[in-house]
Amino acid sequence: MTQRVDWWVSLLQAFVVINIVMGGFAYLTLAERKVMGRMQLRYGPNRVGPYGLLQPIADLVKLLHKESFRPAAAIDWLYLLGPFLAAFTALATFSVIPFGPGWEIAGVYVPGQVADLDIALILIFAIGSIGAYGFIVGGWASDSKYALLGAMRTCAQLVSYEVALALSVLGVVIMAGSLSLTEIVAAQADSTWYVLPQIVGFLVFLLAGTAETSRAPFDLPEAEQELVAGYHTEYGGMRFGLYSMAEYINLITLSGLCVTLFLGGWHGIGFTPDWLAPAWFVAKVAVLLYVFIWMRTTLPRLRYDQLMRFGWKVLLPVATLNAVVTAILVVAL
Amino acid sequence: MGDVLVWLIWFLAAGGLLASGAAVVSVSNPFYSALALIANLASLAVLYLLLSAEFLAAAQVLVYAGSVMVMFLFVVAYLGGRADAPWAGGPPLLRTAALVAAIALLVEVVVVLGLAWGDNLSDPAEISAAFGSPGAIGELFLTDHLLAFEITSIVLLVAAVGGVILGTTPRRRGENEHRREA
Repeated sequence: MTQRVDWWVSLLQAFVVINIVMGGFAYLTLAERKVMGRMQLRYGPNRVGPYGLLQPIADLVKLLHKESFRPAAAIDWLYLLGPFLAAFTALATFSVIPFGPGWEIAGVYVPGQVADLDIALILIFAIGSIGAYGFIVGGWASDSKYALLGAMRTCAQLVSYEVALALSVLGVVIMAGSLSLTEIVAAQADSTWYVLPQIVGFLVFLLAGTAETSRAPFDLPEAEQELVAGYHTEYGGMRFGLYSMAEYINLITLSGLCVTLFLGGWHGIGFTPDWLAPAWFVAKVAVLLYVFIWMRTTLPRLRYDQLMRFGWKVLLPVATLNAVVTAILVVAL
Repeated sequence: MGDVLVWLIWFLAAGGLLASGAAVVSVSNPFYSALALIANLASLAVLYLLLSAEFLAAAQVLVYAGSVMVMFLFVVAYLGGRADAPWAGGPPLLRTAALVAAIALLVEVVVVLGLAWGDNLSDPAEISAAFGSPGAIGELFLTDHLLAFEITSIVLLVAAVGGVILGTTPRRRGENEHRREA
């Protein structure tokens, strides 16, 4: 299990994984616009390249060429720190998610994840909770009432739903008896995908995760009809791009975590050859991402009091009950 | 190579810890104080990592730096004072002198302890591979430190109930009767 990994392999792998995730982000924006367009009886972007496939690159070039303005009264270093912190933490969390069993390539062992830790699951939550400061600090430093209100909403929403999110995975941790993501995947290969015994945990995770990533119908932090754009109202160019990247990569990481915890990780249905494992992982993540986009086009936004009530009075008790029942059953059986 | 890297990280984390700790109490804008406290907790987590306490480090970042400090920032940001300068001039002479004296005392204490213990301090601690893992910590909680663990849970429960009581506005008598009639 714990084969020695050369440091340069980790470095190279981190570089490759970061670039793949960023590429995934770029094409996730395109996929979202395409799918949303179709669901709303429109075409979506179809002018740049065949089927609009080069649209993300055009968007990137546009963002890079924009003027880097900032509000005169913004606090400079905090205004810059915000997007960097958000993007950095978003990318860092992906490092512990396993996407394969590990391979022997030309005599060099390449692990199935960038870092294999005993406490990977806690690490993801810890880094994610630091990432929230990127949104709060940026909103506070921009000297705008909309940005401040958006930042405060982000703050309250993330804290509220983080509890339910953490409790919803407790059932999986109890069943697998480990906080290590590789061991959780291995445990699912031995028994069954945890989505079946942990269906309640899975649903709570999906809903709380939607709120954690501020996706519709929980997109109150950036509700455009109320707050212009929330915490990133005063951001433009690639600084806005970094915030946008952080949000989408958080969504990808969340889907990856969901696949790892509930949907068997990189294991396919039936026998999976080692080299095909990442394809299964990507396919499952893609299905989940489609569900997130689907939810966005289908469900209207909640009111603020509904959001808080749903988080504290519905999701939290259900997640707690799920954890308690799982613990009793695991001990009893 | 490994040792040099550990020393380098230790010095960076320890320096960050001291600097951010000083910033918490010396800056005048509370928002910056809160940010410095987050940096302080993060540097402390790095020191925990160097002590092979990975679980403790992650839990510390998750609970204190992640959740508790968000509440601090939430309140401070609503209080305003965004435009206040982060730094309101240096401290007066007397305070500086007190700080120097305190540091001198600390150095003396360290030197005396070092002389008293002598060579015993130079032995590195021997730890097993399971040290600091979630399993080992959980076992300690439920065996050697069971009483402290349970008492802590009761204290937290009392605090949570207290928070709910303090947070809800008491319903006036008239309001209650009105509701009953309706």
